[in-house]
Amino acid sequence: MTDYSPGSRGMGQGAPTRKDLVFGMAGSGGDGIVSAGDSLLQAAAAEGYHGVMTKSFGSQIRGGESSCRVRISTEPILNPGGNLDVAVALNWEDFLKFGAELPVSGTTVVIYEAATNILPDNIPLVGVTPRQVIAVPIAKMAKDTAGTERAKNTVVLGLIAGWFGIGAVAVMKGIRKKLAKKGDELVEANQRAFDAGRAFALENPLTISMAIVPSETKGAVKLITDGNDMCAAAAIFAGCQFFGGYPITPSTEIMQFFTDRVWGYGGAVLQAEDEIAGIGAAIGASFAGKKSMTATSGPGLSLKTEMMGLASIAELPLVIVDVQRGGPSTGLPTKSEQSDLFAACFSAHGDVIRPVLAPTSVADTFRLTVEAFNIAEYYQTPVLLLSDQEISQRKETLDPIDTSQFVILDRLCPSGPDLKDYKRFKQTENFISPISFPGLAGGTYLASGIEHTENGAPTNSGTVHARMNEKRIRKLDPLKDRKDLFEVLGNPNAPLAMVAWGSVAGVCREALNMALNDGLNVKLMVPYLLYPVAEGAYRDFFASVRKGLIIEQTHLAQFHKLLRMHIDLPAGVRPLARSGANPFLPGEIVAALHNLLSELQRRHEGKLQPQE
Amino acid sequence: MAIQGIDLARQSLLDALDLAILVEEEAQERYGEFADQMDQYRNADAARFFRHMVENEAKHGEELSSRREQRFGDAPRKVTRAMIFDIEAPDYDAARAFMTPRQAMEAALASELKARDFFEAALPSIQDAEVRELFQELRDEEVQHQALVQAELAKLPPDSGISPEAFVDEPAAQ
Amino acid sequence: MSATIEYTPKDYKSDLKPIWCPGCGDFSVVQAIYRALAAIGRPPHEIAFISGIGCSSRIPGYTTAYGFNSVHGRSLPIAQGIKLANPDLLVLAAGGDGDGFSIGGGHLPHMVRRNMDIAYIVMDNQIYGLTKGQLSPTSQKGRSTCTSRHGSLEAPVNPLLYMLAYGAGFVAQACPTDLAGMAAIIEAAIRYPGFAFVNIQSPCVTYGEESQQLKSLKAISENLETIGHNPADRLAAMDLAQDYGDKLHLGVFYRNPEPPPTYGDLVKERQERLAKDAIPRENILDLFIKK
Repeated sequence: MTDYSPGSRGMGQGAPTRKDLVFGMAGSGGDGIVSAGDSLLQAAAAEGYHGVMTKSFGSQIRGGESSCRVRISTEPILNPGGNLDVAVALNWEDFLKFGAELPVSGTTVVIYEAATNILPDNIPLVGVTPRQVIAVPIAKMAKDTAGTERAKNTVVLGLIAGWFGIGAVAVMKGIRKKLAKKGDELVEANQRAFDAGRAFALENPLTISMAIVPSETKGAVKLITDGNDMCAAAAIFAGCQFFGGYPITPSTEIMQFFTDRVWGYGGAVLQAEDEIAGIGAAIGASFAGKKSMTATSGPGLSLKTEMMGLASIAELPLVIVDVQRGGPSTGLPTKSEQSDLFAACFSAHGDVIRPVLAPTSVADTFRLTVEAFNIAEYYQTPVLLLSDQEISQRKETLDPIDTSQFVILDRLCPSGPDLKDYKRFKQTENFISPISFPGLAGGTYLASGIEHTENGAPTNSGTVHARMNEKRIRKLDPLKDRKDLFEVLGNPNAPLAMVAWGSVAGVCREALNMALNDGLNVKLMVPYLLYPVAEGAYRDFFASVRKGLIIEQTHLAQFHKLLRMHIDLPAGVRPLARSGANPFLPGEIVAALHNLLSELQRRHEGKLQPQE
Repeated sequence: MAIQGIDLARQSLLDALDLAILVEEEAQERYGEFADQMDQYRNADAARFFRHMVENEAKHGEELSSRREQRFGDAPRKVTRAMIFDIEAPDYDAARAFMTPRQAMEAALASELKARDFFEAALPSIQDAEVRELFQELRDEEVQHQALVQAELAKLPPDSGISPEAFVDEPAAQ
Repeated sequence: MSATIEYTPKDYKSDLKPIWCPGCGDFSVVQAIYRALAAIGRPPHEIAFISGIGCSSRIPGYTTAYGFNSVHGRSLPIAQGIKLANPDLLVLAAGGDGDGFSIGGGHLPHMVRRNMDIAYIVMDNQIYGLTKGQLSPTSQKGRSTCTSRHGSLEAPVNPLLYMLAYGAGFVAQACPTDLAGMAAIIEAAIRYPGFAFVNIQSPCVTYGEESQQLKSLKAISENLETIGHNPADRLAAMDLAQDYGDKLHLGVFYRNPEPPPTYGDLVKERQERLAKDAIPRENILDLFIKK
């Protein structure tokens, strides 16, 4: 009986000490590298670890160059991580295409395919000497044990189990389950390949142990999902009964979740003929009284502009999810960016404020989606939920979420007295007027894009228009006081600050911890509500700040500009902004903070009082 | 219809030779494309075999070209590529991203068969004796080529029975 | 226009390596386009090739023409603008069934009624391939896809019938099962003086079902010429077009025996007629002189 216990040979001298491991694997789509990453993540979760997996690939349909990163930890993971602890290269040509996603450093252990005929001291990584470089005859082992070189990914999983102590039993358990219907031969072939990988690792221990300590939460229930599925599940939880949309990378999975499941809740979903028809159908469903949603990416958001304006002036609740990708236009469909911010806030002509929310991880996508529906319904407005490709496509383990903690809000429906001489757009103290729906006797009204009086009749009166603009815009004012939509971490009165939103916030949370460990006096603000701009929250935050960074993946520093439109930022607060695709790394943000710190210190030099 | 605008029955020896040369050229290019496609998907074994076929077809083409030159010098060529359609070139449909070397060889085999059938089918109607002789020769050569590919096939271990698709990643949404 | 030199299909092939899966029907289609363009003999730089978004919409990049891989469903409006700006160009448009008949569907009747001299090729594979296998407007009812795992509830559009009903002057269907026929049809479509539509069954080997691959398509193929169809008979063509999905009719469904003047012809005539009355640009403001 093979010894699978973590203490067994192969993992280097001594007991496991690592609490966190970042794996980066690259090969081609045909190597099944993403499947391997997925299996690893699932196995890690089964063993009680926290895990995050991201993937990146070329533009060939069947996946030319392909890569994935899997980060496994005993602690909750804030972001997919910086430099790799373990790099697996099934071929060098493809590995090198992922320099930004798979950064190798002096502490990386590099495992690569021996059949590349490159010697360990001659690997093509410029300017870095990894901790250890091991050539493994992966393809040969796959061929010898499973009968096909394609079983490389399973061999790699065996190597990982042997060297790092993850998934010794869980990986094969998962593979067995996945392949249950495909026949014993395939399962056995995988088992042999896995065992071969593990045996190789045990026979060739690492010079320094990189084994991960056993998790203390093994056996605890863990969820595994990605941002898109989480968003769709949250929508159903919130009572969404209708989805109208169109396929577009990277948001399509939200629609797919609905097409699989919403029917069972008495709801409906329409894959429409185009983006505009998709949001049109969703607006219709909202008009009919149902909680309703659409999802898209940049190009679709541009198309939906006119309809968004319609929903705003007609005061119809609607959740619009924009899973951002590289822009502009067709841009980079498979890469993450944050450059839809301006479009989210400002597109659609006229004086409109449309609330914009942004999750920062798969886990808080649930909460933010529920919040989006609550805000949409309560304020009778379209709400933009700005996710991004990074969050939507990455798989994360999560601790179970207690759904009973969430309050679900419904739109204000007219009551008996309201229905006598019902005015849909009645001016009220809080600017929110009860909204009826077809089928409700006494609540008939005309919804329209044209400006209208209190009872919905078209008007071109300047006075009425001014009042209606005020209604539509001021009804949202309370949002600016929602402290629960802002998170401040670190030292509350720090003079050094960071502000980041979306997936970049995850990187900054990790950078914050590193900076605090370095002794920096720094804080981080993560806004979940991006628009309308909560001026008070920012003023409070920046009161103590001398130097800071607004960190975002946009070339135009859109969020920085958005803030400057509304508040005066301290002179020392600058954008750290660049185009998407290549992720920010925690290390580079910490370095930028150190830079600011030295500036801060230099500026105070002259103010030193001489000792008497 | 694998050809257009050529009357196989009445073609001259010059045209027949030129036709044969173009058939090899078309096949050579197609194998080259297949090899490039295999490269895109890092399918080195299949790529290698297709490049091997590129060399084979090139060789056949060269032999025919020197015969043509000896016999007809640089007489203008009347037959063009626009007149032939995948006579020996494997169908585009025959390639797959993760095809095994066995599947690649079977694709080549099918192409040789296709070409053999083409030359064989034309024989009964050919009027010129020299042209008929050439087509018989070309037909027989295709049979030889088949045998060569069969020999290579025989050297291969049997496919494991496990489809490569069982291990590869899902396609990527773009 | 340039002097006549002979062009070969290779002259129209660019160096860009296609992203398509090996086995994709689009490889044959682009070959047929190279052949058709070579037969017509316009220099590559006098050709504008516009597409939308999708696997098949990558096709302009694989030619040496001036390509425009634009946005989803809008190849036709852009093509119209190009043709109006320079009527001497050979203007080609292409895309998939989703690009053309879903989001792009609204542009079709207007292409037909304006009748500009543009050829439009749709590579029909009944699926959205680029985004990983969702329902398309030509997917069969009941088909299981990523967005219809319980089966599609929608009857598919019939591209051939719609284009015939809109009144298109040239409607044809082709397939890689007949390579020579496909090249000839594309050439005929380009040569047709007016808006020409070609639907090509171009199987997807990654998401397509068995019944949609070339082997199965061969079994349901029927050549329109062989069965004695008269391409000047629009009603007969519409009758045959109803078999879309059940039978694969290959060839020209309809070709207007008396093509009317194209939009471009009429524009040219108008430009010539009004040229003599045009005020010199530098005096344009004379129009506003108070009389």
